[in-house]
Amino acid sequence: MSGPLHLVLAEITAGTPTLTEISRRTGLTLDVVHAAIDHLVRAGRITSTQLSLGCPTGGCGTCSSSGGCSLPAAVGRRRPGLVSLSLTQRVA
Amino acid sequence: MSDSTRVRLPLTPAKTPLPSAKACCHEIPQHTAGVDAAVVALVGAPNTGKSTLFNGLTGSRVTMGNWPGTTVEVSKGVWRTTLQSPSCNCETCTCANDESPLAITLLDLPGAYSLDAHSPDEQLTRGLLQDGPVSERPDLCIVTIDASRMAHGLYLVAQVRELAMRVVVAVTMSDIAAQREMSVDTALLSRALGCPVVETDPRRRTGLVPLAAAVRTALADPVPAPRPVPPTDDALVLDDDRFTWLSEAAERATVAPGNDRLTLSDKVDRWVTAPIAGPVIFLAVMWAVFQITTAVAAPLQNALDGFFSGPVSHAVTALLTLAHLNGTWVEGLLVNGLVAGVGMLLTFVPLMALMFLLLALLEDSGYLARAAVVTDRLMRTMGLPGRAFLPLVVGFGCNVPAISATRILPDARQRLLTVLLVPFTSCSARLTVFVMLGTVFFGTNAGTAVFAMYVASVALVVLVGLLLRRTLWRTMGAEPLIIDLPAYHLPTLRLTASVVWQRLLGSLKTASGIIVVTVCAVWLLQSVPTTGGQSFGQVPVEDSVYGVVARTIAPVFAPAGFDQWQTASALIVGFVAKEAVISSWAQTYATEQPAPGQTGLLGDHIQAAFVQSSGGHPLPAVLAFMVFLLAYTPCVATLAAQRREVGLKWTLFGVAMQLTTAWLLAVAVFQIGRLFW
Repeated sequence: MSGPLHLVLAEITAGTPTLTEISRRTGLTLDVVHAAIDHLVRAGRITSTQLSLGCPTGGCGTCSSSGGCSLPAAVGRRRPGLVSLSLTQRVA
Repeated sequence: MSDSTRVRLPLTPAKTPLPSAKACCHEIPQHTAGVDAAVVALVGAPNTGKSTLFNGLTGSRVTMGNWPGTTVEVSKGVWRTTLQSPSCNCETCTCANDESPLAITLLDLPGAYSLDAHSPDEQLTRGLLQDGPVSERPDLCIVTIDASRMAHGLYLVAQVRELAMRVVVAVTMSDIAAQREMSVDTALLSRALGCPVVETDPRRRTGLVPLAAAVRTALADPVPAPRPVPPTDDALVLDDDRFTWLSEAAERATVAPGNDRLTLSDKVDRWVTAPIAGPVIFLAVMWAVFQITTAVAAPLQNALDGFFSGPVSHAVTALLTLAHLNGTWVEGLLVNGLVAGVGMLLTFVPLMALMFLLLALLEDSGYLARAAVVTDRLMRTMGLPGRAFLPLVVGFGCNVPAISATRILPDARQRLLTVLLVPFTSCSARLTVFVMLGTVFFGTNAGTAVFAMYVASVALVVLVGLLLRRTLWRTMGAEPLIIDLPAYHLPTLRLTASVVWQRLLGSLKTASGIIVVTVCAVWLLQSVPTTGGQSFGQVPVEDSVYGVVARTIAPVFAPAGFDQWQTASALIVGFVAKEAVISSWAQTYATEQPAPGQTGLLGDHIQAAFVQSSGGHPLPAVLAFMVFLLAYTPCVATLAAQRREVGLKWTLFGVAMQLTTAWLLAVAVFQIGRLFW
């Protein structure tokens, strides 16, 4: 079976670096790719993490942005910034 | 005219009665349309205008917000559906001309992305629509979907369509979709979904009458056949069937710019994330950052340096003279130690602020996310774990939080490998030393020299990583990772200023504490004599404990061209923290520091030391020194963080590896460099 979810998972596994690139390679619209990613995050099949580059040297405690840093990216909302998505290892 | 209330419905734990939509309606009769009235449930993902639509239909007020999960309670009201009379052009009133108004009990269920029950809200919605007896379910379900993000809402539609239930889809947010040049053909969507589809704008209260008409028609019709699903127990296969269905429906009914139409971000990304052009552009951007930083900050640093070495030092000296303390160890500690050390730190404030500003602009504009794609690809090419680039990127700010950031790596071996690689990333503390030496030895090319150190840092990470992968961790697999690239946008002043301030403050807090402590420790060691006949604080530096230890270690660096004891002593202090390297030099030479952009007395001393120790080849020697500084142990705080994460054994292994790598590279740079310079 090669539905949108399998296609997206296959692209993540293959190392496709961006959602735009996944959309281009699979032929799915970006909206469907985003929906598929959000669904896979909710289902626990991939992990989404909002990232922050160049943290202050004083650590997270000194950073006013710490509330939005290194926490699971909110599903359904897209903020400008770096979000990493990685496959979750599932026990069969 | 209408009435509403809010009730808390129980969730559906395993052994408690399932919630009933109709029983709930009968609990408080005065808030329902009557026992025999139809019950319609309003469902949809958060932020699709569901609660606003509920208000528009019932005339009641509930809390509305833009945050997922705002609607945490079930709201209930009476919806007096009216069909537009020929004599009435008003869509918004509950028109008295309607000869047969139909009162409906309307339930506003919590926002839910699906019936998969991943959250309490979804659990409740699932309990009301799917798990309860058919007779207790609502008579009809209105699913709201956002026209600008239609695929997100259609998954819930797919699941509801699999139930024996009447369904009407309300398409909202069409104005936002229009701003993105998207539109939805409701007739085509209705055909694809197998249920009525109505476009509404709850905020402007348009489309409410057509919605009422669609609901009344659907209620009069028999319950449609559910959407067939594949006979499987595999949840992913079932979900994928829904996505195939919704993808086809969305594609058929949506008129959008499409994947073939490239946005400006897409066009730029074609270049900046390309396999070859991407790294070249990234290097060019970073070179420009360092060049701009060193060139623009130099005059400001000169001014600050003149201020601290002139008026401030003179003022402190004058005060000490008044207190009859001039010429004593107190003057040495205060003027040559604390004032010079802290003053040196403050001269770097413009440089650090400028660099943080440029990096914040790159980050806020969305470019650094592209740089991460480039870096990630490089890591993969080298066979290193893709996710490892994240703490490594943080390491370019400070190694200590970078060590902590390795916790995001799920595999213990990946964590260990990354912890060992982080110290090779050039932190901002090393930057000040690189800038100072670059200015003294390379003049206007200081920015290029600093940039070269950052390139060397990346190369070190990759090469050492490859070496460890080929030897210690041959079987480690790579963790897949993708990046969600935001569209480019103009950086916001508030966010950029906030980020710069936070990072500058953090750096200054850390560095000032380190420098004050180190200056005092260095002063103490430089005051303790090693031979008899000399008193505390009245000993030449080379005869102090500090000088003797440095002279003992210095010969180790002879093959690298920097075996002057003063240079070796700076490396010893740098083992504690790189922030203190320049201040220790200043104390050792007992003079003020130079300003980048012009060679001061300290610069002269340092230059003379490298000329002498290198046998007339100062440039390869200083490059070797900078490489050593880059590769050896960053600071004791990093060691403490490493010990916490991977234990003492691996921390000591890391220190040995860093010192060996640093020494070998420094020797190679000097021995090869002296052949050409």
